[in-house]
Amino acid sequence: MGKRLAFWLVVAVLSAAGLLPILYMLWRSVSVNGHLSLSYYSSLLSSERTWALLAHSITLATLTTIASTLIGVPLGILLAKTDLPLRKALAVTLTLPLLIPPYINALSWFYILGRDGVIASLMGNAVSNITSAWYFGLGGSVFVLTITFMPVVMLLTMAYLGTINPELEEVGRLFSKWPAVLARITVPMILPGISLAAMLVFLLSMGEFGVPTFLRYDVFPVESFTQFSAFYNFGAATAAAVPLAVITAILISLEWIFVRDRTYRLKTASDSGFLRIELKGWKRPILIITLIFAFTTVILPLTVLVARSMTLDAYRKALSIAHDSLLRSIVYAVVGATLLVGIGFLSGYFIHKREFRLWRALDLLTIFLFALPGTVIGVGLIGLWNRPSTDLIYTTPLIILMGYLAKYTALTSRITVSTLAQIPPSMEESARLAGVRWLNRIMQIVVPLSKPGILVAWIVGFIFCLRDLGITIMVYPPGYDTFTVRTFTLMANGSPQLIAALSVMMVAAVLLVMGAGWAAVHILRRR
Amino acid sequence: MKKWIWILILVVVAGAFLLWRFRSGRGENVVVVYVSEDRVFSEPILRDFERETGIKVKAIYDTEEAKSTGVMNRLIAEKDNPQADVYWANEPIRAEVLKQKGITTPYISPNADGIPDGFKDPEGYWTGFSARARVLIVNTRVHDAPSSIMAFVDPQWKGKAVIANPLFGTTTVHIAALFVLWGDDSAKKFMQAMKENGVKISTSNGESADLVASGEFDFSLVDNDDAVNRMRQGQPVKMVFPDQGEDGIGCLLLPNAVMLIKGAPHPSNGKKLIDYLLSKETERKLAFADCAQIPLHPGVEMPAELKDISQIKTMEIDYPAVAKKLVEIQPFLKEWVGY
Repeated sequence: MGKRLAFWLVVAVLSAAGLLPILYMLWRSVSVNGHLSLSYYSSLLSSERTWALLAHSITLATLTTIASTLIGVPLGILLAKTDLPLRKALAVTLTLPLLIPPYINALSWFYILGRDGVIASLMGNAVSNITSAWYFGLGGSVFVLTITFMPVVMLLTMAYLGTINPELEEVGRLFSKWPAVLARITVPMILPGISLAAMLVFLLSMGEFGVPTFLRYDVFPVESFTQFSAFYNFGAATAAAVPLAVITAILISLEWIFVRDRTYRLKTASDSGFLRIELKGWKRPILIITLIFAFTTVILPLTVLVARSMTLDAYRKALSIAHDSLLRSIVYAVVGATLLVGIGFLSGYFIHKREFRLWRALDLLTIFLFALPGTVIGVGLIGLWNRPSTDLIYTTPLIILMGYLAKYTALTSRITVSTLAQIPPSMEESARLAGVRWLNRIMQIVVPLSKPGILVAWIVGFIFCLRDLGITIMVYPPGYDTFTVRTFTLMANGSPQLIAALSVMMVAAVLLVMGAGWAAVHILRRR
Repeated sequence: MKKWIWILILVVVAGAFLLWRFRSGRGENVVVVYVSEDRVFSEPILRDFERETGIKVKAIYDTEEAKSTGVMNRLIAEKDNPQADVYWANEPIRAEVLKQKGITTPYISPNADGIPDGFKDPEGYWTGFSARARVLIVNTRVHDAPSSIMAFVDPQWKGKAVIANPLFGTTTVHIAALFVLWGDDSAKKFMQAMKENGVKISTSNGESADLVASGEFDFSLVDNDDAVNRMRQGQPVKMVFPDQGEDGIGCLLLPNAVMLIKGAPHPSNGKKLIDYLLSKETERKLAFADCAQIPLHPGVEMPAELKDISQIKTMEIDYPAVAKKLVEIQPFLKEWVGY
């Protein structure tokens, strides 16, 4: 396969899955009763409420991003770069909240901080009234979203630390202590990864609707939501989603200008060793602090969740009504993540190389799609693919996979871009000069060097496919829902025990899959 | 290189398996139904139908309470190439919207006989069954319980009442029905007076019911299943059918509504499912289930907490007008909620 062919393959897949459905929706947003009109946009932008809600959303997203980065980067460094005990267990534990639907996270914290929650029974109502008042509002929304999305920053930090060249750090260590080396050498080198993580957290928290609604903090996505839920007006709903995408476009442009060119000069080789920080006397206090953090932010709410689902009956029931959808979810997510890595790697490669003129468009399109609400993409996919001639796509899970590709290619593509930024181009270049064909260069040089990044991309893709709700609920073939959809639809008037049991099952299933993957990799390596 | 080929083969095989296994079947003995009634209540009924008829049910569920927009938007988006045979809505306003958009087609089921005319579309575009009543849920420590929705604007209850966000769900329908019944001016005055009387807004009827049960508020306006559920759990609440006096406006009843989709891929199975849903037996099951819905057929057995439809003074409701009003008052409601 030639480079050009691969490029057009990526363009074709992303057009079919994302670009055309979105163009279809954008067309609807500017055609009112068959005429070209910007009335949806003008009525949206002329309302004061729009601006107030946008300000809310940006505040929420900014605070969540700052908090997630301030916590996630140090944690990532601690867990990837130091000799802290229990590193792997802590990394897995701290990732768990990302696997649980944010709404459930908000609920389990409500069981703790609410007026009748755990705090109330331990410290009395005087205290719980204060925690409850704080929880319902901006504070609580930032808190829950930070705990949910912080793992994105932590995981990406860990991944990029694994690819940096230890020589620079070694030189630094000759003259300074670790904190200075981290601040001046290590962190700047993984800046592409950190900025990517921050941007993803920003977009995720800006698009999140369930948690702020539950916590009474009005945000902008409610606009698009009410257009869908009360008016069934696809055009106006799309128009109401566009500001989110515009903010995204501004963010990417800023990143194009500032971050990427700065780090461009920092490319290093990744083939020699790894420098680990010895914590020495700090080991015990840092371990204790990290354990306390993991306990309060993850174990405690999970325990409350498990405690509420403590009856065996709840689990038996959960298993009997949801086992088939759980299996489907895992299959869809495995296939989805693999496709996402394939397309995302190629797309990331072309964005990184900047050889084709369309690279900016590719980057912009994927991130744009990531920022749009799932419902908009879902309706677009239906509009485009629900025709008798394309039944094979629309009436099968292929349509779900297309939805995943549309929405989440940005993740794997961007992870690839940041990974490739750390691989010296000279290697591929010399292979090219030696006459090695493009596909062979990719497979034998670029892919092996980007292994850690590819692995992280797959895990992130897997998690996001698994927890997807917005697109799946719009397009899944009747009768064949996923586990997240099923949990969500059972939440209305389902018993709290059942919902808690389903959430615990989701966590257990993901851990099993990850565990199996980890074991498989180890066994393969030993051979 | 070899490893990659294996991975590729594996993905292709998995993909082929998915296509073969999880295809939404056309041409088989199936019926495709989209459902907006809560899944915990609707799924058992559909399973019974499957068992009794041998027709496989393929369903897509929605959930209003958790604020999903799935099923209705999907039905509308699929208009040109319908995938669904039947839509089971949890209230008739959605049915009216679909009728106006030309997505449904008339079907008058033999089992619709006996269901009062006020709960069916005269042309057969939809038929109602098993209704939720909009009731007052009152904490039992309140002695002189309110008996009318006017209690929301009575200074006696200042700061003691809560109501679900009127932008979502059955509360929206209720407010729209009041606008139609009273006219815009009176209804707006009522809403304004509610605000001045310190009525708080919750996210859902379920939450309102919990807030009353925990004693944070004295009463709220909810669906009767929210009240019956808490009563069955032994919580200190009771249920009052509002405005039953001679001059009272009556209690708002919102039936489920079932309809056939125009161009349905399996119309004959779709009709069988509609007949099944409109049967007395289905109404009996939904009355005894936790949703505690009131049967519309006469003479259906029901639990003690419920009232027979003949004993309830019901609010007159013009569904097409309410459907229209619902859209009209959205800007007012948004402002009222404070968005």
